[in-house]
Amino acid sequence: MIEAWEYQVVAGLLFMIGTLGVLVRRNVIVIVMCIELMLNAANLSLIAFSRQWGNHDGQIFVFMVIVVAAVEVAVGLAIILRLVSNRDTVNIEDTSLLKW
Amino acid sequence: MIPQIDIGALGPMLPVAVGAILLPLAEVLMARKRTFLSRPFTQERRGTFLAVASLLCLVIALIISVNGLLGPSRVFNSGNPMIVMDGVAHFLNIVVLLGASLTVLGSVKYLADIHSNHGEYYALLMSSVLGMMFLTSASNLMMLFLALELMSIPLYVLAGFRRSSLRSNESALKYFLIGSFASGILLYGMAILYGMTGSISLAEIGKRFDPESAPHLLGAALVVVGLGFKISSVPFHQWAPDVYEGAPTSVTGFMATTVKVAAFGALMRVLAVALEPAAELLYGALWVMAVLSMTLGNVMAIIQQNIKRMLAYSSIAHVGYLLVGVIVGTLDGYAAVLFYLLVYTFMTIGAFTVVAILAKGGEDRDRVEDLAGLSQSRPLMAVVMTLCMFALAGIPPTAGFMGKFHLFRAAIERGIEIGDTSLFWLAIIGVLNSAISLAYYLRVPLVMYFRDAPPTSDPDVPGFFERVVLLTCLAAVVLLGIVPDDIFNVLSQTAASAQHLLLLQSP
Repeated sequence: MIEAWEYQVVAGLLFMIGTLGVLVRRNVIVIVMCIELMLNAANLSLIAFSRQWGNHDGQIFVFMVIVVAAVEVAVGLAIILRLVSNRDTVNIEDTSLLKW
Repeated sequence: MIPQIDIGALGPMLPVAVGAILLPLAEVLMARKRTFLSRPFTQERRGTFLAVASLLCLVIALIISVNGLLGPSRVFNSGNPMIVMDGVAHFLNIVVLLGASLTVLGSVKYLADIHSNHGEYYALLMSSVLGMMFLTSASNLMMLFLALELMSIPLYVLAGFRRSSLRSNESALKYFLIGSFASGILLYGMAILYGMTGSISLAEIGKRFDPESAPHLLGAALVVVGLGFKISSVPFHQWAPDVYEGAPTSVTGFMATTVKVAAFGALMRVLAVALEPAAELLYGALWVMAVLSMTLGNVMAIIQQNIKRMLAYSSIAHVGYLLVGVIVGTLDGYAAVLFYLLVYTFMTIGAFTVVAILAKGGEDRDRVEDLAGLSQSRPLMAVVMTLCMFALAGIPPTAGFMGKFHLFRAAIERGIEIGDTSLFWLAIIGVLNSAISLAYYLRVPLVMYFRDAPPTSDPDVPGFFERVVLLTCLAAVVLLGIVPDDIFNVLSQTAASAQHLLLLQSP
């Protein structure tokens, strides 16, 4: 039997992996994947809490988040595609025209 | 139990939603070789038509919002409300709609100037405005998150609207990455708040929130950090200057004003309703954020050579001033924030419009030197720019002075009332920062009036729409500086009624 708090531990770990990935990785695609990981960590957490409280608010929330995540990826990949066709790179350190 | 649904409460959103859906359709129909008029529209006329159509939707929404502000507050669904259309929501919607209307007017010629006259611009703008309107009225975590994303995602696209420009690309990429990162943090905070309290309604969370428990506070902190990214307060501000500089100027004006208006609406609601029990701890953190925003924003703005970048740092500083009102947390404080948001929208859009007009031949002219000699060649633009700079710096008798006066007065009055010296310090640091900000705001009029234009310079003439924007901003900046007391009293009552409603709302 899996306890409720165990889901939260997994969600917390996923969230931390995602956050760290955004902060340390330099490949834009990987960063977007890490952001998705953060959103999905929140999803897992919401589902588990929803079960724990016995109300449906959290589950409905998750459906909305899934839609938002899909939209975010669509827009994000389009932006990255422009970057690749204009500059031929997916490394975030090459995008440094604007600073200070 | 079937909840009672009041569709009429969504009145102000409907015209904007209709516009956001129909505008792309209209664009496609007009782009066909054979239209119903049997001849194709030129790209320029198509742009003008779409701008006028979206302006129409915005003005209808504006009229409904003004009516709503005068009428009683309404709730979309009873019981566990998702959308509360109270006075604050209506007022912030009015500010957002005004900002969006001015942006639409200021975009027509600018888009043609930078060779990016694509019709979807207006549809994206309308979607974003729709998100902002929901954000100001959301009283439920799910609605808040959805509205925030509806506001942000079109903006990522708009920031990268100059598809072949490397700077615009980079701006969109940075905005997208940081924006989604912030959404992720915000969402996890919301999940924790839901897990700890068992409800996603702001009012319910406010009742069950336990400021002694660490997980509760972690959720609250993550939510505040997420919103801190959206309002670009220090230390979550690094993206703002880059994004503002690279994005098309009209979009920058839009991002710098309306996004902050909507995000501050959400921040005030979350802090005053859901996180009210944790007020003392959170306000300590916000105090630091406010001081850092004011100081760092103003100091960094001094060394900027690019006007858009300078205004980006100045907007960070203004977030600091606005946070003062939020920290004060009294009705006067909230009313001062509302008033300052209105004033800030006009003065910032005025300044960005002047910069947008200067763009020519596919290139932005956004360096401070590009303004040299503007007083001789284009006196109207120079006057508007000067007044906007005076207002941003807070020089009387402009609107900016009255805005800051109300903010700092609220802080000092509250400080006397509860005997808290940290509020005095906040006001003092704010006033000192206004003095620092003179250094860079006054440089702009100096360059315009006392430096001769280079012989090659030939600034663009403002078109009809742009003239309307300039004159509106001019009138607003002057008038709001002269007759602010009446408006301020109305806002005070608005904030009072909203608080009353929110406290009653919890089932």
